[in-house]
Amino acid sequence: MTQRSIQMDEKIISRVDLLNICQDVIEKGNTLLTPGVADYSVVKDVSNLNLDASALPSKISYKSYVFPRTEPVLYYKRSKNDVQLIDVNIDSKKIVILGAKPCDANSLNIMKHLFNWDYSDEFFNMRAKNFIVIGLMCSHFDEYCFCTSVGSSPVSEKGSDIFLIPLDENNYAMKIITDKGKEFITPYSGYLKSGDENRSKRITENVKQPDVAFDSSEVYKWLGENFESPKWEGVGNLCLSCAQCAFVCPVCHCFDITDEDYSYTEGRRMKNWDGCQFGNFTLHASGHNPRDIQSKRYRQRVNHKFRYYVNKFGEILCTGCGRCSRGCPVSVDIKEIVSNCKNDQKELR
Amino acid sequence: MPHTAEIKEIIDESPDTRTFRLRFRDADTADRFEFKAGQFAEYSAFGDGESTFCIASSPTQKDYIECSFKVYGKVTQSLRRLNKGDTIGIRGPYGNWFPLEEFKGKNLLFIAGGIGIAPVRCVINNVLDLRDEFKDITIIYGARSVSDLIYKQEIKEWKARRDIKTVITVDPGGETASWDGEVGFVPAVLEKNAPESENTVVILCGPPVMIKFTMPVLTGLGFKDEFVYTTLENRMKCGLGKCGRCNIGNVYVCKDGPVFTYAEIKKLPQEFNNFKFQIANYKLQIAFLKG
Repeated sequence: MTQRSIQMDEKIISRVDLLNICQDVIEKGNTLLTPGVADYSVVKDVSNLNLDASALPSKISYKSYVFPRTEPVLYYKRSKNDVQLIDVNIDSKKIVILGAKPCDANSLNIMKHLFNWDYSDEFFNMRAKNFIVIGLMCSHFDEYCFCTSVGSSPVSEKGSDIFLIPLDENNYAMKIITDKGKEFITPYSGYLKSGDENRSKRITENVKQPDVAFDSSEVYKWLGENFESPKWEGVGNLCLSCAQCAFVCPVCHCFDITDEDYSYTEGRRMKNWDGCQFGNFTLHASGHNPRDIQSKRYRQRVNHKFRYYVNKFGEILCTGCGRCSRGCPVSVDIKEIVSNCKNDQKELR
Repeated sequence: MPHTAEIKEIIDESPDTRTFRLRFRDADTADRFEFKAGQFAEYSAFGDGESTFCIASSPTQKDYIECSFKVYGKVTQSLRRLNKGDTIGIRGPYGNWFPLEEFKGKNLLFIAGGIGIAPVRCVINNVLDLRDEFKDITIIYGARSVSDLIYKQEIKEWKARRDIKTVITVDPGGETASWDGEVGFVPAVLEKNAPESENTVVILCGPPVMIKFTMPVLTGLGFKDEFVYTTLENRMKCGLGKCGRCNIGNVYVCKDGPVFTYAEIKKLPQEFNNFKFQIANYKLQIAFLKG
């Protein structure tokens, strides 16, 4: 998806010109997304667009624009004995995401492994191909953030096609990271002025970053040795199995497939978000359930993120955005849990 | 995208188990569809969704494929409502298979319990079509009661054959007056009827509780973990290694399985035999309730 181009260009663009580009994107019929309080939302009017690097991450990442909460995968029509199957056309509109948090920007890069091993998921790939991610340096952090513990940072360009660093109130340094980004920005090169790498470097170096909370390789090792640790019980008893953590996560990707009839003869097959924390996620029809209690399900979640995915695809299935903890109704904090895993005195919770 | 297939034949195996004989609607697909013993498919009852079963017929049977299912949930109930001539959807074949090539020249011991006979039957019929390439064959199959036994016609044929040993058992209390087979649980019957462990491959399928109690017996009889093959039947949705339902540790059962040797299963996180953990948790919950 993202190819690193050889020369890393740094430019300067004024806020006004950036908004002009956005206006043009919208006028050309493409979708422009920016982060809001709750969600990344579609922008219709650029005049009240606010690019704030210090904003709290939205409650939900832009995952749903590439892997929707629910989407049809096929339509069917039943006649007397026969069933006719109809393909789904995947919407291939270009989507520009302006101001993606660095933790979100990397999400597609992490998920693409899963959607492309063995069988390629055309729904995911088609949408991901049409994504232009314009990342924005992040100067917010709270007690839930831990991007620096999972190999990212508030100034990480990973996953962005273009990366913005606010220089002052009215100007941004613009780094063009990928060929896709270059292709996108070329028609607008008139707006760009040549940049000064030292100036942006001074800013990125002075950004306050969350402290490194844990060493992911040690967590990896601990998980391998402590599958049956009694520590899982603590968090298992606390967790409500509501799976909000999976829904707000930028990289959780479990799904369900169900059929929906909308008339006696017609219907569609839907792919819906699902969550490994639900009790019936692994429930067999026979009543047997391999992960029958919450502690096993929470153990699966942590293991999948910090061990299984690393084994299979070489990356941690976590961006460190902290959304799961920020939104948890019972304050289960994954950062605390993995940071404390080696601490014998503390229960995991 | 599933293929559509016509239900050519419906066989009522037992009060709750039914076999469909299926033929793809598209002649081209029917010709091209190939699979190996042990692979599974996703069968859809349009309107109610998909369900995962193994392909129960032998790959040597080219005219049709069969699936057997026990009516349990929404999809299987919906499948049961279908009639001869109706259409279902099939995606597949998915997953790995029993390495029959490696079994050649060896003795085979088939152990099946309940609906677990379906994948085993596929292998048995495949092997019987190539009978000369294998040595002694023993089949041990148990069900809860006589009426719960499925593939009754084929069992008769297996029993009639001199070149295989067939032992059928039902759980105590499940026998009828005219029952001439064994009575007892599979592990006990296995102990009495097991062949030499030397040069023998075991194909073991059944409910988790049966596997749990059969494995120690096999080990006691000298069967090696790496020669005991079984299928893990986890809940699945996509069959493509994406939806995240069937994984145990790094393994996606739908891609890396469903066929595993017991040696391989032992290396996986023990999510299935984890009774100790469960008991600890129950104790904790009781303590919590008592305050």
